[in-house]
Amino acid sequence: MIVFEDVTKDYKGGNHALKHVNLRIRKGDFVFVLGHSGAGKSTFIKLILREEQVTSGRVLVDGLDLSTMKKRKVPYLRRRMGVVFQDFRLIPTMSVYENVAFAMRVTNIAEDKLKKRVPYVLGLVGLADKADRLPDEISGGEQQRVALARALVHSPQLIIADEPTGNIDPKLSLEMMELLKAINSVGITVVVVTHEVALAKRFGKRIITLDHGVVASDTAPAPMEDDEEVAAQ
Amino acid sequence: MKWSSFRYLTKQGLHNLRANRLMSLASIGVLTACLLLTGIAGLFSANVNSLVEYLGDQNETVVYLDQGLSDEQLASVDQTLRSMPGLAAVTYVSQEEVLETYKGYMSEYADLFNDFEEDNPFHANYRVVLEDLNQLDEMIAQLEQIDGVYSVSAPTQLSSVFLTIQRAVTYAGWALVAVLALVSVVVISNTIRLTVFARRKEINIMKYVGATNGFIRWPFFVEGTSVGLISGLLAAGLVIGAYALVVNKVGAMSGFWGPILGSCLLSVGQVWPIVLGAFLIFGVIIGSIGTATSIRKYLEV
Repeated sequence: MIVFEDVTKDYKGGNHALKHVNLRIRKGDFVFVLGHSGAGKSTFIKLILREEQVTSGRVLVDGLDLSTMKKRKVPYLRRRMGVVFQDFRLIPTMSVYENVAFAMRVTNIAEDKLKKRVPYVLGLVGLADKADRLPDEISGGEQQRVALARALVHSPQLIIADEPTGNIDPKLSLEMMELLKAINSVGITVVVVTHEVALAKRFGKRIITLDHGVVASDTAPAPMEDDEEVAAQ
Repeated sequence: MKWSSFRYLTKQGLHNLRANRLMSLASIGVLTACLLLTGIAGLFSANVNSLVEYLGDQNETVVYLDQGLSDEQLASVDQTLRSMPGLAAVTYVSQEEVLETYKGYMSEYADLFNDFEEDNPFHANYRVVLEDLNQLDEMIAQLEQIDGVYSVSAPTQLSSVFLTIQRAVTYAGWALVAVLALVSVVVISNTIRLTVFARRKEINIMKYVGATNGFIRWPFFVEGTSVGLISGLLAAGLVIGAYALVVNKVGAMSGFWGPILGSCLLSVGQVWPIVLGAFLIFGVIIGSIGTATSIRKYLEV
């Protein structure tokens, strides 16, 4: 699902965020990407979203080579994945329903499909009764679940959660992780990016540790597989 | 774009217009003010132009004829003048008519002129109006060439004054309109930039969930053009209303300038379609250009 081939990313000003990173995350995996601040986690996410481009090397997502991808194709790349940001990034003027529906509207989907899908996804994250609220009127944990619902609504094959436990209390963190596990159980690849070692270890899943821009350890490196070939773009 | 998306985004744009009421009002206010100034400058210049043109038309060139021309010679001159290109009006004034005119001017001394009845010293003449005062010198030369023409008297000094005024007013008017238009573009794009800046987070989020640039732009575009349309309508209404008032007041004016201004001010009927059309087009263009330029920066995510 995600392949980093000898990826180096330098920012202007001489900040070497990632150095010769090789990693492979297969379809259906549940992976923690662990690291302190400055380890290169944010850059890792930005490269997958193609917010940034590699300095050298190659990033493949779902068979698409991001280094050769045209700018106007980027929105379509982002529709293949769902991202739950640390700060949730909900639109404060839109209701919970609209925030989730919005991610579907972007893909030109018909209104009647949207009317079925949005309540269903809100139900999955346990927010069916808060659809009309504004983000400010619900708790942090609930806001995060709205963000998750938004990430899920267009049925992506990949969910990336950026510090999912950063802005909410420990009990809610566990609930969030359970939700992510449930999502993974239906075959969706889940990548959790975090700095919390304890959280990562608790679930017994694969942990890729980044340190100063390099892969310091990988508990279960994925072997090279045929299905990671570059798909026609 | 699908019809449902188009409808949704257009609705969203109009919703934003209402949701960001204060900003929308500020934009509309600024744009309306600029359009007002532009419109007033344009109308003023157009009317001064029309006035100068009117006054210019009042300046006749007089073509004096030789005395004692036969009827055939007179007919020939008449034909030459009337078929000459570049003349707007040709009027014949006979010797007798000239004498009568002078008698009229000096009615108290009318008796003195009686002697002239027998031996009229005046020259019969043609009063001609030139289509284009710029051609005055060439026309004079041409007229003097005609057989039977004694002399040509033209208001060369006066006409050059009129031409200068006309040119100055036209240039100044256009310069003023151009400057005000530029100011409007800058101010409006700054105002829209503020709106966009206030919503940069929203735009950012849209980018992350996979919105295309067109999808993000459309509501802003709708917002910008709506601001332009509303401002255009408002400004056109105000300018045309005020202009109608002015025309009315001037029409009712008495004295020397009243009738002159009354006859050469552009009528409201002539003015309103141009003002309305220009304002709407101008407003929409500025609104959309302002949006397009101010949003670009935030689409680079």
